[in-house]
Amino acid sequence: MSIGSLSSRVGRDDFSPRTLWNVGWRYLTRHLWQSLLMVLGITLGVAVVVAVDLANASASRAFDLSVDAVAGRATHQIVGGPQGLDETIYTRLRRAGTVEAAAPVVDAYVTSPQLAGRSMQLLGVDPFAEQPFRSYLSASTQASAVQLSAFLTEAGAILLAADVAERNGLEPGGDLILNIEGRQHRATLAGVLTPTDRLSRRALEGIVLADIATAQELTGRVGRLDRIDLILPKGGAQVAQVQTSLPAGVRVLPVEVRTGATRQMTAAFRLNLTALSLLALIVGMFLIYNTMTFSVVQRRSLFGILRSLGVTRLEVFALVLTEAFLVGAAGAAMGLVLGVLMGQSAVRMVTRTINDLYFVLTVRQVPVPSISLLKGGLLGVIATVSAAVPPAREAATVPPRSALSRSNLEDKAQQNARRAGVAGVATMLAGAATLAFPSRSLIVSFGGTFLIVFGFALLTPSVTSGLMRTVKPVLERALGVLGRMAPRDVRKSLSRTAIAVAALMVAMSVTIGINLMITSFRQTVIVWLSDALQGDIVVSGPTGSGLQDVTPVDPRAEAIIRDHPDVAQVDLLRSATIDAPGGQVEIEAGSSRDYGYGLRYVASDRSPKAAWDAVHQEGAVIVSEPLANRLNLSVSDTLSLYTEEGLRAFPIAGIYYDYASTQGTAIMSLETYRRAWDDNTITALVVDLAPGADPSQVARTLEADLASLQNLLARPNRTIREAALSIFDRTFAITDALQVLATVVAFIGVLSALLALQLEKQREFGVLRAVGLTVRELRGLILLETSLMGAVAGVLSMPAGFILALVLTHVINRRSFGWTLQMVVTAAPFLQAIAISVLAALLAGIYPALRMGKMAPADALRYE
Amino acid sequence: MTVKGSQVDSEFLRLEHLSKNFREGPHTRTVLRNVSATFDRGEFVAIVGESGSGKSTLLNLISGIDQADTGAICVDGQDLAALDERRRTLFRRRHIGFVFQFFNLLPTFTVWENLLLPLELNSINGTEATRRAQSLLDAVGLGNRGDTSPDRLSGGEQQRVAIARALIHDPRLVLADEPTGNLDEETGHQVLALLDRLTRHASKNLILVTHSPEAASYADRVLYLKDGRLVDR
Repeated sequence: MSIGSLSSRVGRDDFSPRTLWNVGWRYLTRHLWQSLLMVLGITLGVAVVVAVDLANASASRAFDLSVDAVAGRATHQIVGGPQGLDETIYTRLRRAGTVEAAAPVVDAYVTSPQLAGRSMQLLGVDPFAEQPFRSYLSASTQASAVQLSAFLTEAGAILLAADVAERNGLEPGGDLILNIEGRQHRATLAGVLTPTDRLSRRALEGIVLADIATAQELTGRVGRLDRIDLILPKGGAQVAQVQTSLPAGVRVLPVEVRTGATRQMTAAFRLNLTALSLLALIVGMFLIYNTMTFSVVQRRSLFGILRSLGVTRLEVFALVLTEAFLVGAAGAAMGLVLGVLMGQSAVRMVTRTINDLYFVLTVRQVPVPSISLLKGGLLGVIATVSAAVPPAREAATVPPRSALSRSNLEDKAQQNARRAGVAGVATMLAGAATLAFPSRSLIVSFGGTFLIVFGFALLTPSVTSGLMRTVKPVLERALGVLGRMAPRDVRKSLSRTAIAVAALMVAMSVTIGINLMITSFRQTVIVWLSDALQGDIVVSGPTGSGLQDVTPVDPRAEAIIRDHPDVAQVDLLRSATIDAPGGQVEIEAGSSRDYGYGLRYVASDRSPKAAWDAVHQEGAVIVSEPLANRLNLSVSDTLSLYTEEGLRAFPIAGIYYDYASTQGTAIMSLETYRRAWDDNTITALVVDLAPGADPSQVARTLEADLASLQNLLARPNRTIREAALSIFDRTFAITDALQVLATVVAFIGVLSALLALQLEKQREFGVLRAVGLTVRELRGLILLETSLMGAVAGVLSMPAGFILALVLTHVINRRSFGWTLQMVVTAAPFLQAIAISVLAALLAGIYPALRMGKMAPADALRYE
Repeated sequence: MTVKGSQVDSEFLRLEHLSKNFREGPHTRTVLRNVSATFDRGEFVAIVGESGSGKSTLLNLISGIDQADTGAICVDGQDLAALDERRRTLFRRRHIGFVFQFFNLLPTFTVWENLLLPLELNSINGTEATRRAQSLLDAVGLGNRGDTSPDRLSGGEQQRVAIARALIHDPRLVLADEPTGNLDEETGHQVLALLDRLTRHASKNLILVTHSPEAASYADRVLYLKDGRLVDR
């Protein structure tokens, strides 16, 4: 808007919104590059948040659907030990008439080459008892009467959702092979289910339905049930009544107790992802703040004129906020679209991690929840408008007619730098105090972490100024006049340069922090694997990871393995999930007499040997660190578990470092386990080889020898280690992706800041060219300035990143997953951060350098 | 054309058939048409013309900041057209001092730093630089304002700093583009008197473009620029 057109309005009581709108709109359109970069920064920030939120929401929804698919409308479940329940309990329950709705269930994971090898859940049910629980067999979904009759009467008959069958080219009457616990079974598709509602259709996506008797045969659990689903009224009377009618070792538990613990486990993982995605948005907010501040300082004289013509402070404030709102809305809208696209790969990564680490999600496709979109959109707009509040206030305080001179502004920036430095130290101390606060809340932990990062951002102006003074003589000696000018320019434009440096510093410190945390974590896992992996070869069912195997192994396998000439020793292992008052607990019961000697203990009141001897001789257990944290256990306590004889307390002989599960594991002797649960099942065999034997060769031979019994995997120690590390790397793939995105947002921030900075300095560059600075020197000056800014960001990000790594490693991880990690510091992440910072800043300086170099000095001198 | 004051002995600057056009959207605007002139060594010449007559463009061409569409400029035997952009800049760095209407001091630098800038570019540092800067600051009457930021000075003071900056690296030619255009009458006279005194004292060539006949009266010779052509009054 020209001064003339503004002046013509003098005498009016107020400015029409249209006039002010023109002021804002013309600024945005005339500084199109700046506006576009600002929009792009918000777009990326919102997209990351939306993508992660979608992934989390989808995982959560998939979990709910998976649970609903299996548990249906059950309120309680009758469960037994690791071997399940005797089916006569169900018969007695029905006969006694204690409960109105009860349904027996057998379930197992199953794969089939005819179903693309996908892991699905075999659900064995009694069709006549199902109606109150699950709607698959209701009139609206069920197959024809002929098909249902086949389902009930034919051996190996199963039902699938119609679209699953269609997708895999299966038709009623067709045969398929089911792999269950290492054994192959022939099954027949008796019919297809066509649920009318979308939820049932999604729930059925991962389900293979069988009659209870068929499922018992397929899983080899004839006469046994995995659980009995119940619908009981609220209030404890009937629960207690049912409980008293049950034999020892069999319990009634609310459904939430079993599913809640699993949900809790993934909650920390998902919260961590959310925090990381918010980080990208915070870097984006820096960018917005940065750009809006520039847009205000560039227009100080315009705001001064507006104020002198009668525009109120509130109107100027509203003008800047309106601009921010428009930019925020545009960025958020594009961010939503990009977020949904990015969300698809994020969903895959999150689901895979949950499948790797926690449980198999049978439901994988869920719709985009509108709440995620709403949240992302609002967050983008609110973040933008909030980031614009300080510059809007700045704009509103421009005195009429006497716009603050640039030197005053820079003096103010220098003074503010000192104040911000003090505030930065105070903020960091507040962050440290928050982290030291004895709370297990992750929100408190992340709050403390953000305060520390923000504190470092506040330190940026004073550190930038100090470093520029320090490097000036060095650069002057090395580069002459440019070496003298560049640091001086950066220091003397602190009101502009510091914000860009801070944004880049935050992104880089996060890169260092996460890199160091992952390196430390990986190194800790490598060391732990060498302690935790037993023997030379582990023989187990095909579904296990080699670290925790749950598939029962044929007991005859032991003799076959012992017969191999290269085998020196075989230890038996039973992994099981046992119910406990605090949720489910993973149990590892082994026959090895010396396994525990090599474990590393977090705490123990005796030597590792004595602790392990107590496990074998006194029936004690040693518990993993995450379990101890989850159930608040210490060495002098006992671990209570539901056994065949009811609740039993096991003394705890030690707490050991373990990274196999976040739920937590207890190790006990196989003898103790068998006594307590009357279960002779084994799930893995740990094989020690004779000296000189080749593990890969022996493993191949063993697999072949065992094939006639069961499809078992014999994996050399090294393979398991590699598989574990590959799961580890997959788990952090999304973290890496988020980290890269945060850096991209920071890069855009720096580019935008530098563009605005160089644009503002156009006239100064014109003067420099007029007094004899060559094009090459001018380009060199610009690139040197931007490199210096990048270098400061890189240098400052090193201590910030290190502290962030300490917090992530020792506080966040411990509070999220209960793991103590050994901090490993390597030079690579620091060097990488410096390189990326300088490179990002250098790249961001290229365009302005080219542009300024091309501009004729006469034009630059005319620039206002 | 008038000559007064000092003795002129040889040609210093020659302009031959200079023309300059600017594109303005679909139209072409001719700013300079076939301008030719010569300037003797040590001469102070004023070029007078109305706003938009092409005065500043002519100055930009002489300094090498801009290039003519046709014609030649020869400064002290050096044909500017024969120099590439970089060498033109280096020529300007060494041999030309500039005084602008809007002062064009770097706002984030102090007065002292602004003054040292041409010396830094010419690799003159240390005691010699300090001596020259202090001497010129004293000469323009701002000896104690070196640490001040330019925007804390009055317009006249800023222009005195700009004059000192234009002279500090001992250029052969000083170009002044409406140096009093942004000043009140009295301050304008003070600034012109200072410019005249310092350039004559150092035997520099000074070309002053102005719309003011009063300002032009300081010059040895006055040329008039009208519709892009140099004309006799």
